[in-house]
Amino acid sequence: MIRRVLGSAVILASILVLPYWVYIPLLFIGAILFPFFWEGILLVFLVSVVHGSEMAVLPSLVSPLALSLLVVLILLLPIRERLRSYV
Amino acid sequence: MKVNYLPKNRLRHAYLRRIITLVAIFISGAVIFSLLDAIIISIISPIWKIKNVIITGNVIPSLPEEQTQKNILLELVGRKQESNIVIAAVLTRPPQTPYDVIIIDAGSNESLTIGSEVSLPEGPILGIISEIFPKSAKVKLFSASGEETNAVLERNNVPVTLVGSGGGNFKLTLPRDIAIEKGDRILSPDITSRPLATVGEISVRPTDSFKEVLAKSPTNIFSLRFVFVTP
Repeated sequence: MIRRVLGSAVILASILVLPYWVYIPLLFIGAILFPFFWEGILLVFLVSVVHGSEMAVLPSLVSPLALSLLVVLILLLPIRERLRSYV
Repeated sequence: MKVNYLPKNRLRHAYLRRIITLVAIFISGAVIFSLLDAIIISIISPIWKIKNVIITGNVIPSLPEEQTQKNILLELVGRKQESNIVIAAVLTRPPQTPYDVIIIDAGSNESLTIGSEVSLPEGPILGIISEIFPKSAKVKLFSASGEETNAVLERNNVPVTLVGSGGGNFKLTLPRDIAIEKGDRILSPDITSRPLATVGEISVRPTDSFKEVLAKSPTNIFSLRFVFVTP
């Protein structure tokens, strides 16, 4: 749990001060490392609000970054289940 | 009586619940963040200001000599340039943002409005304000992907449409008979004729009737520090 909160905090800090080629990969790494990383969706909307050109409801829904993270999170649900380690 | 579901069905049901939860978070996040964008930007702005002070030092530059010379020329032709220019510091710039958008530290409190023109102290126009907040504003650069801007080729006064392709770059298409060379300037179509872009690469195939021109912003948008805003 602490790792998850720390990870989210690191991604949040990187969104605020680091270039996009740092925080976008970090978002996807977070989605892979942490199970059911719903915080990532909120963080990606923060990217749209802070760095996007216009934040209207409809364009944000079809924002490629937000949409791709949602797809990755959904696809990871069954994949993670199959890769689960019981060690 | 205890009911034993098939494990396969139970698993699918669990996925469905999680997928619905993710979609619900996605939709509610989109609505909430679109409503709170002004508050979020106002909370984050001080962090960017501190970061800028630490990294670069925040010294407002003096009005360049070239700018005052341009004002004198405009006065001579009877078109005096507006003098109520606001100098703003750039809080975020590419590559911090994945889009060609910058945030400046002047907003509606400085009488800026949506559509206000943003330019460099040296003259070239960069973009227009797309979103305004009390103490900050978002500027969409002309080089933002898909953004179309009317312009004029300096070499032969041909009106063209610049299409932004991100990263301070533009694309334009010209008939193959129009002469254009690397380094030619592309200017704004208004009376001030300020530079918008410089021609970088020209590609034309023998079978094409058009040539594709790649142009770049006259400045490095990755190192912007101060801009002029004309309300």
